Amino acid sequence: MDFPRILSGNWELENSHKLDVARSCGTYGRVQKALAMPPVELIQIVKDSGLRGRGGAGFPTGMKWSFVPSAEKRGNKPVYLLCNADESEPGTFKDRYCMWKDPHLMIEGMIIAAHAIGCKVGYVYIRGEFRYIYDRLWEAVHEARAAGLLGENILGTGVDFQLHIHLGAGAYICGEETALISSLEGFKGQPKLKPPFPAVEGAWHAPTIVNNVETLAAVPWIIEHGAAAYKAIGTEKSPGTKLFSCSGHIRKPGVYEIPLGYPMRDLINVECGGLLPGRTLKAVIPGGSSVPIMTPDEVARCNMDYESINTLAGSYLGSGGMIVMDDTTDLVAALTNLLRFYAHESCGQCTPCREGCGWMYHILCRVRDNCATAEDLVTLKDLADNIHSKTICFFGASAAMPVQSFLLKFKGEFLARIEAASKGLPAGSHVSPASLSVVGA
Amino acid sequence: MPKVKINDIEVEVPAGTNMIEAAAVAGVDIPHYCYHPNLSVAGNCRMCLVDIVGGRAPEIACNMQARDGLAIRTDTPAVKKMRQSVMEFMLVNHPLDCPICDQSGECRLQDYYMEHGDYDSRGVEEKVSKKKRQDIGDKIVLDAERCVECSRCVRFGDEVTGTGDLRLMNRGDHTEIGMFPGERLQHHYQGNLADICPVGALTNRDFRFQRRVWYLKQTASICSGCATGCNIQVCHQEGEVFRYLPRRNDAVNKSWMCDEGREQVAGISGLKRILRSRVDGKTVDTEAALIALAARLKSATHVGVVLGSQATNEANWALLQTVRKNLKSARIFVTAGNDPGSFEYADKLLVDTDKNPNSAGVDLLAAFDGQVESWEAFGSAVADLDLLLVLEDDVVGRLAGRRTAAAIAYLGVSRNATSEAGSIVVPVCHPVEMDGSYVNRQGRVQRIRRAVNAAGDALPAWLIVDRLGAKLGVAPGTGMVAAAFNSMARAVPQMRGLEFKTLSEAGQQLIVETAPVAPTEATV
Repeated sequence: MDFPRILSGNWELENSHKLDVARSCGTYGRVQKALAMPPVELIQIVKDSGLRGRGGAGFPTGMKWSFVPSAEKRGNKPVYLLCNADESEPGTFKDRYCMWKDPHLMIEGMIIAAHAIGCKVGYVYIRGEFRYIYDRLWEAVHEARAAGLLGENILGTGVDFQLHIHLGAGAYICGEETALISSLEGFKGQPKLKPPFPAVEGAWHAPTIVNNVETLAAVPWIIEHGAAAYKAIGTEKSPGTKLFSCSGHIRKPGVYEIPLGYPMRDLINVECGGLLPGRTLKAVIPGGSSVPIMTPDEVARCNMDYESINTLAGSYLGSGGMIVMDDTTDLVAALTNLLRFYAHESCGQCTPCREGCGWMYHILCRVRDNCATAEDLVTLKDLADNIHSKTICFFGASAAMPVQSFLLKFKGEFLARIEAASKGLPAGSHVSPASLSVVGA
Repeated sequence: MPKVKINDIEVEVPAGTNMIEAAAVAGVDIPHYCYHPNLSVAGNCRMCLVDIVGGRAPEIACNMQARDGLAIRTDTPAVKKMRQSVMEFMLVNHPLDCPICDQSGECRLQDYYMEHGDYDSRGVEEKVSKKKRQDIGDKIVLDAERCVECSRCVRFGDEVTGTGDLRLMNRGDHTEIGMFPGERLQHHYQGNLADICPVGALTNRDFRFQRRVWYLKQTASICSGCATGCNIQVCHQEGEVFRYLPRRNDAVNKSWMCDEGREQVAGISGLKRILRSRVDGKTVDTEAALIALAARLKSATHVGVVLGSQATNEANWALLQTVRKNLKSARIFVTAGNDPGSFEYADKLLVDTDKNPNSAGVDLLAAFDGQVESWEAFGSAVADLDLLLVLEDDVVGRLAGRRTAAAIAYLGVSRNATSEAGSIVVPVCHPVEMDGSYVNRQGRVQRIRRAVNAAGDALPAWLIVDRLGAKLGVAPGTGMVAAAFNSMARAVPQMRGLEFKTLSEAGQQLIVETAPVAPTEATV
């Protein structure tokens, strides 16, 4: 497979996080060129490249940037660029590598993005658990500042950009862009109502663009090689490369950069080294814990791009956090564990999500602990339907989708569990090997 | 103005109107908890989810602004199910302690359950328990378990009083309303928290367990605590007043009133009420007291009359007319300042430094008369008066020990220094016991209404003065409150065109020369 490693190219180098190493690899080499370009042109290049937000939603980045109101319309309000480094989606661990291994690439991306949207002050909102990366990012910022790459009059171009690193306090919801803004402003991390959208009225009521770490890190390459070169990689609607965080029952878990459109089973079998010996595939969660689960059948058909996973499996590429589960997995326990997370992390604002996540978790606990009835599964499904898309932010849907998809695609396992419990069979006797497998042991 | 459709009913509403308000114009009630017309939109209760015709997903009506061609439906099966499920989520961790909850009868959980819930309970999980009966302020008791986390009280503290005291703590179904450790509510608008709380989480310490609300009747009136004239509902049962609630009037008090205003209730049936007429220390009936008063007014050489800034326009008008028609040589004065013992608190939000509800009305009538003398003139003249007739204000108390007239006749509600000094005392109705009108500090004329029967022998002051006039020779024709108001409105230029019976519940702004004082969103 031949493709440029846009994001992870420097990761194996020694001291790849240092400015001199980064510069020797070409990082910051695109700043001069980009800052000399008019912002509209930069936005057009990113638009043409087809780059989509890598945080999970896959929204076209160039289009997002173009939503910032013009200088006349926004008056004397500043524009803020926020880098969403609150990577907390279970199963996702790519941004931490981006920042740990190559922080300067992200900073270069932010300088270019800031110029494109007319921003003078940017923030990296990094999750509280990434304390060690926080220190490294500040180090990188200080290095870049000393080299005249951040601050006033960057490289003599007359462009100013100040960058601050802000440490979150460890709430999953703060990865949602409006909750991130609330938290950055000093309030409780709770999503805000839309409209107004952040691009129009975000942090401190000023136009604000929130981009994922990986998205920003892809920008310098696009500026250097042009939109067409980026578009040549991947598929038509999902161009470029993407980082996939692969975990679960595979031989080589880790972060892999691959072009979008790459077959999912190849990712599992080749890059990830296949399943553990003697195991068969049971299910895969392709894009972080929030997205619907996939059956082995669907895994065999799908490629790793936004459209394929959505149309063929009804799931989402999401953040690229792929969790592989083999036939030893107790899906009841897995779903219960997921819901424990969502019940704990619901911000508590909207009624359905606040009360519903805990309720679903309690029902699942009873299924897991062998004291549920088939009727409870009906209630569970109904609760998930009543939460999905009835809330301010996407959290409600994120908690509902695993429940809906597990019950749709693996209902048999849940029913078997309940039936076994009613007959007094020992726990675990319900687990049966998946009937289908695409991956040979 | 944009035209919108709610369930095919087309209405035209001002641009920027949200769809809950637009639906109300169309006569469609969209249930809601977190939305409050005088607070910012939070959009978190999700009860007002509606279907947009041609739209993809349901949206909340409170955050949806009217725009031309917007059509929503509130009667689809999907909306019905959404409301039912929100009710189910709200109640799954609710203690369901209605029998011992003081909110029963005015609780949105109860109301909306009957209207939109009505499901068979699926709640078998153990409920999340939270702190009950928390003492968070002098006026408010908090029960966190009953809370639906609508955040109205949080926004009230942030946006109205600026005190930022209540907060939502924790996350998920452990979300709980509360104060910061060691803190208590300090502001003077605590009662509003109980009013805006749609459920039984915040209840009013003074009203708690006094009466089930479904027994209470409500009468629209005006608070007599200060010159602001907050619009209120007087809640009463069988002649007893239990509480005042603020009545929404965005031109005056929005949906709020202060705690001092609510405490005025205590004065209605208080021990200080004057219940019987008295002449020279002897209890007499009011007729006899008025005959004696008329005789003494006729025989006195130097008569002074003081208009009452706590009395209605009608009473002051009646007094002005009676004196001018019958006692040509009498001097008429206005008062200033406040009665001793009236509460001292004042702020920029609602509570005025002037604790008299009708100072502006008296000033209007004094200006109309042209001969009415000032409080300063009264101070130098009072010692030379043979007989002083006082309407409601505690003139002796306000003189603070200075020499007063030889004899005093007092028409008043409660015992005070003036009534003690008075040789003739006639009981007057409390504002909740009679009809009438006040003019507030903005120059807005507003109606008070009789809610309960008068205590003892008390009569409305306009009626007392009318009877006095008859005994003096010429009655002013103020024996009916509407007649008193209408004759005043015909005479006083600023009131021209007004009629008592058509005066709306929101009152009527008069054209006055003083700049109107609008309530501000100031920090208390």
